Amino acid sequence: MTTVENSTPQPIDDGTVLSFSGLDVKFNTEFGKVHAVKGISLEVRPGEVLALVGESGSGKSVTSTSALGLLPRNATVNGAINVAGNSVDTMGDRALRKMRGDDVAMVFQEPMTALNPVLSVRTQMVEALELHGKAYGKAADARAIELLAMVGIPDPEKRLYQYPHEFSGGQRQRIVIAMALSCDPKVIIADEPTTALDVTVQAEILDLLRSLKDELNTGILLITHSMGVVADMADRVAVMYKGDIVEQGTAREVLTQPQHDYTKRLLDAVPRLGSRGETAPVVQGEGPKALEVNDLVVEYHRQGKEPFRAVDSVSLSVKRGEIVGLVGESGSGKSTIARCALGLIPAASGEVAILGEDITKMRRKPLKALRKRVGVVFQDPASSLNPRLPVGDCIAEPMDVHKIGTSKSRRDKVAELLDAVELPRDVANRYPHELSGGQRQRVSIARALSLDPELLVADEPTSALDVSVQASVLKMFTHLQEQYNFGCLFVSHDLAVIDMLADHVVVLKDGKVVEQGARHQVLADPQQEYTKRLLMAAPVPDPEEQRQRRLERYDFMKEIGEEDHGLHLDEAPDRKDLMGGSAGGEGQMPPGVSGGN
Amino acid sequence: MTRYILRRLAISFGVLLVGSFLMYILTINSGDPLEDLRQSTANNREVLIEGRIATMGLDNPWYERYWDWLTGVAGCFTGNCDLGTDRSGTDVLSMLGQSASATLRLVTIATFAAIIIGIIVGILTAIRQYSGFDYVVTFLTFLFFSLPVFWAAVLLKEYGAIRFNDWIADPQISPLQAVIVGVVLGFILQGVMGGPMKRRLFTAGSTAAFAIIALLYFTYVGWWRSPALGPVIVILVSVAFAVGLTALISGLGNRKVLYSTLATVAVGSVLYFALDPLLEEPNWWLLFGLLASAVVVGLVAGYFLGGYSRGQAMGLAAVTAVFMAGMTFTDHLVYAWGGFLELKSRPISTIGASTPNFQGDFWETTLDWGTQLILPSILLTLVSVATYSRYTRSSMLETMNQDYVRTARSKGLSERTVITKHAFRNALIPITTIVALDFAALIGGAVITETVFGWRGMGAMFREGLANVDPDPVMAFFLVTGTAAVIMNLLADLAYASLDPRIRR
Amino acid sequence: MSEDRRDSAMQGSPEPLPHAGSEIDDPQFTDKSYSQGQLVRRRFFRHKGAIAGLAVLIFITLLAFTSIGIGGISGWWDKDFTSTGTVLNGGKPTIGWFYLGEHPFGQDSTGRDYFARVMRGTQVSLIIAFVVGIASTMIGTVIGAVAGYFRGWAESLLMRVTDLFIIIPLLVFAAVLGRIAGDSGIFVFALVLAAVTWTGLARLVRGEVLSLREREFVSAARAIGTGNWRIILRHILPNTVGVIIVATTFAIASAILLETALSYLGFGVQPPDISLGSLISEYQTAFTSRPWLFWFPGVFILAIALSVNFIGDGLRDAFDPRQGKDG
Repeated sequence: MTTVENSTPQPIDDGTVLSFSGLDVKFNTEFGKVHAVKGISLEVRPGEVLALVGESGSGKSVTSTSALGLLPRNATVNGAINVAGNSVDTMGDRALRKMRGDDVAMVFQEPMTALNPVLSVRTQMVEALELHGKAYGKAADARAIELLAMVGIPDPEKRLYQYPHEFSGGQRQRIVIAMALSCDPKVIIADEPTTALDVTVQAEILDLLRSLKDELNTGILLITHSMGVVADMADRVAVMYKGDIVEQGTAREVLTQPQHDYTKRLLDAVPRLGSRGETAPVVQGEGPKALEVNDLVVEYHRQGKEPFRAVDSVSLSVKRGEIVGLVGESGSGKSTIARCALGLIPAASGEVAILGEDITKMRRKPLKALRKRVGVVFQDPASSLNPRLPVGDCIAEPMDVHKIGTSKSRRDKVAELLDAVELPRDVANRYPHELSGGQRQRVSIARALSLDPELLVADEPTSALDVSVQASVLKMFTHLQEQYNFGCLFVSHDLAVIDMLADHVVVLKDGKVVEQGARHQVLADPQQEYTKRLLMAAPVPDPEEQRQRRLERYDFMKEIGEEDHGLHLDEAPDRKDLMGGSAGGEGQMPPGVSGGN
Repeated sequence: MTRYILRRLAISFGVLLVGSFLMYILTINSGDPLEDLRQSTANNREVLIEGRIATMGLDNPWYERYWDWLTGVAGCFTGNCDLGTDRSGTDVLSMLGQSASATLRLVTIATFAAIIIGIIVGILTAIRQYSGFDYVVTFLTFLFFSLPVFWAAVLLKEYGAIRFNDWIADPQISPLQAVIVGVVLGFILQGVMGGPMKRRLFTAGSTAAFAIIALLYFTYVGWWRSPALGPVIVILVSVAFAVGLTALISGLGNRKVLYSTLATVAVGSVLYFALDPLLEEPNWWLLFGLLASAVVVGLVAGYFLGGYSRGQAMGLAAVTAVFMAGMTFTDHLVYAWGGFLELKSRPISTIGASTPNFQGDFWETTLDWGTQLILPSILLTLVSVATYSRYTRSSMLETMNQDYVRTARSKGLSERTVITKHAFRNALIPITTIVALDFAALIGGAVITETVFGWRGMGAMFREGLANVDPDPVMAFFLVTGTAAVIMNLLADLAYASLDPRIRR
Repeated sequence: MSEDRRDSAMQGSPEPLPHAGSEIDDPQFTDKSYSQGQLVRRRFFRHKGAIAGLAVLIFITLLAFTSIGIGGISGWWDKDFTSTGTVLNGGKPTIGWFYLGEHPFGQDSTGRDYFARVMRGTQVSLIIAFVVGIASTMIGTVIGAVAGYFRGWAESLLMRVTDLFIIIPLLVFAAVLGRIAGDSGIFVFALVLAAVTWTGLARLVRGEVLSLREREFVSAARAIGTGNWRIILRHILPNTVGVIIVATTFAIASAILLETALSYLGFGVQPPDISLGSLISEYQTAFTSRPWLFWFPGVFILAIALSVNFIGDGLRDAFDPRQGKDG
């Protein structure tokens, strides 16, 4: 390679664009040494997607970061890392920088923070081009516009000069991908590229990434925790667990015939759409409904602008003993409805009746009495418990507030609730930071149940948890619901979770109800286009089935007249320029690309 | 954006009004304005008391007195200012003329010096986190935070001024002193530059050697009393600046920018000689004009040589031009030092804002100003430098942890570009707020500093006015410093908006 | 963990480091974990500057209050700070390495014992600094918490007063108030100072409360019907304790500088009482003839302010290691 100075004299060229052999990473921390990666070996070939799968803390991101030589100083790295035939561990600073962007590029998880907010998109795109000598000045601008067009940013000539905050999350991720593409790297490392995105946007971004490997023959190391994404994208899969690779093979082998226990457990834990079949609808007994929302409108006031209507005339109801799944993408207003039902934010109009009483017009005293009969579980395990209170006090807090029972009876109740959420009793004396995320969500559920509520509002209670933890929490949740028989408004973005749990489903979009009905009816036979889109975009963890679904989705998109989301190479007129960066690269030309240098 | 600025101005104006009311009421109620006369033993005591009551309008109710003052100030908008009189009947506006300029000069210099030094030190300590340099600076900032300004001022007067004046009468540096200074300098610089041991040793060694030789040489040729830079040094330093600036901002790989800045230096060098006669006895207007034309030279050079990165080339060339103009200015100042010493044998002043009856040419007068200003400015700057450097450091460390910095690194940008282009701009955003908030504290510091150095500035007006329960001088102080603070805030707002596209509209 | 984050500032940090155990549902480190209090103590005692500061502050406080006594209780030093006497040996200090002598810090021109004067000045300055620190913390915490939680009038008040202090220097405002209250005794004077120095802390508390009230445990508390004051007292303020303690410490450090500066200008503690600031003002012209009259009070101010600042730094490291030495 001409691009790398002072590297090893003999580049190893075995056809891989990225390889790790015996990679071993340790961190020195305040609490001692942490062995993050324990001697793993991986390789990525051109035009191939290798998915690195694992739950949080398995060491997968550490692995990928080591390929760029960007690990923090307190890391000790052993083993060999090879990028495009050059050994990363022996490279000097200059060569390392030359390699970054040029040979290997990175796409990060959080598109909202991955772009510098104070620099225009042009500045951020052009600097990489100029740095690696691909194009300068006007030519670089033109190239940047071309790249934006390729990744499907509309009106790129104008938008190039805008700032990141003027783009949506999905568009920002496209820009990050365009930046990654700008120097025509041999391999792209995508670290959870779709985790922060909605499921429909995720499908689009995955389409884009897939066309990269097909059309540009780029190798992709895809880091993800989602088995659905793996099934959708990967050629090969490596499963990582506690810093080790426990299983490696083709996507089909690993996903359909897992060998290692951990892989099996992981796959079993993945909630699957349509696995529950038809169930009988819940029949409401005597008395008012647990929750009834009629024509609810919620508005957020913004300074100097029109108020933003987050929820627009929504009606729904939750019977006692019924779980209603409220599903939608970010910004659909689902959490707003949940918070409004809890009386945390005021309604602009409409009514919210809990157990038959309209809380929008209620005085403080009776409202407090009513709240005794409502429980709540929020999303974020890190912030849902007061860090200054021991777990036992957290659970007893509702009883304390409503002055129920003696301190002895409260202690007994806490013990009983801890048993119910399958936590050891001595957890009561621990502080929340001593517990794991899943344990904290269990504590939240115990707290919500402490007053035997008739209505429970759960706002994405498992979406911050790893899939195996999510499975056990959901299982317990269903069990508790049967036992305590509360009505539940369950908010989630994950259709499969809703499918597992709910009796009735409400689909939201932009603050409006798109479709609602019995679970099986809505999810198995959706009537509305948006519901169909949502369902089609959700990937399933079986490569063959997912391929089928993908094709169906393409057909559907054609039907409704939407363009596809792959690379728009035809919109990049000067193909020669595009391929100019790979001068002296591998001879293998990606299929479907004519011209080249 | 304009609406935002106007709104801010309106709020500031309202606060100024409320503040003036509060200050006025509190001041006139802070004591007995006749106290000194009541205790006086003069025969015409009663007459004096009557007279003061008349001049100060003490028999009017407070709201009338405030209203009188307010309408007088409102007159400033129509061209006939009336800021009232002090208790002896002197017009406050005329007093203000001399004192305001001295104080504002002091505060402005201290503010900008503190911003520049504080930010640079803050960035360096952030980059060299947990190095010896970082620890030393951390300790020093704590020291400056804890320093009673009035006490430090007396020390500075003693050691900074009186000892220096003694020394400059017969400037000698012994080899031992030179070695000590050199070694200390070398040690500091290696801490700042960092790097592996070998490079540090080299940095320290070469710095020390250079400093020792320079000090001994200067002493030998009597440079301290009749110094000069000369064209060679001016041009060499400017070239070094041009190259350094280019390397820092756009990288030496960008030849277009490098040639633009170097061309600017070349033009500047020609002008250095061409303008020499003009600069014999200039005035400030001429100098401002020359500075403006220097900027134009830079912009033109950047425009024609910048090519694909024209914008950046123009900016950097203009900065280079300003630097070179500054060097030329310094060159003339330094040259005038010998003559200045003839006029004023003890150069650093400890009392007053200007030497009484000082007669000298333009350069000597400027030097006189400078020597008056230097100690109070140093003092005032130190405290603010401590604040700004701490703040910059934490702000930098915060931004260096952001995702977009990681993105920038993953593109292969050098550490230098990552810091100057990606981290620094973001780190500056919160700093603008602090600068605005800190400005009032700086004025407060100026009151103390002026007292110690015996300036007849705004601080003295305030202090004496308050001691005498004499509202008009106190209010004049409030008016001037308050307006300055409002302007400073406006600048900070503008800086904020230009840094952060999210609030720009 | 937080140490690492800081270290990694230069290199870009990858995903949160996996120190908390590899599989989320079985934290390996549970046995090793420390309670909040233990962690704070451990971090504080590792901060050498803070320990040194604490030692110096305790020493100075003990020295000042036991030597000449306070409030009628006499101390171990036999001279007081007002009686004049004959000037011995030009009033030079007699202090040596292991003995104090007749006049350890010397005498002023009227023969008053300067050690007793400096001790009294230290007492006054310390009392004022602590009263200001604590009183302004209380005002600031209440206003900040109310402003942050209820927004509304308290927030407007806070913002407008902040605007005021952007325009009027604190020192100037305090000087005017000190001119009014300076001779009503040191406690009144201290409370007056507290009445103008609470804004910084109030802003800080408000910011903390604003972010805490969006946390889910506060929403959960509200959803189950917890009253507003109970939420503030039980759920919000305990989580701001660290910030408040740290801010109080720094408030004490700046209070001592503010008080001495005011006393120096003549708008603070009024004679016959003395503070370290008024001592410097009184004797600054004596710098060339009797430098010790100038040196001792200044060194005491510096030592107190510096040690309090270091303690504050140590507390900040202890309570919020992420913020670290960076504020």
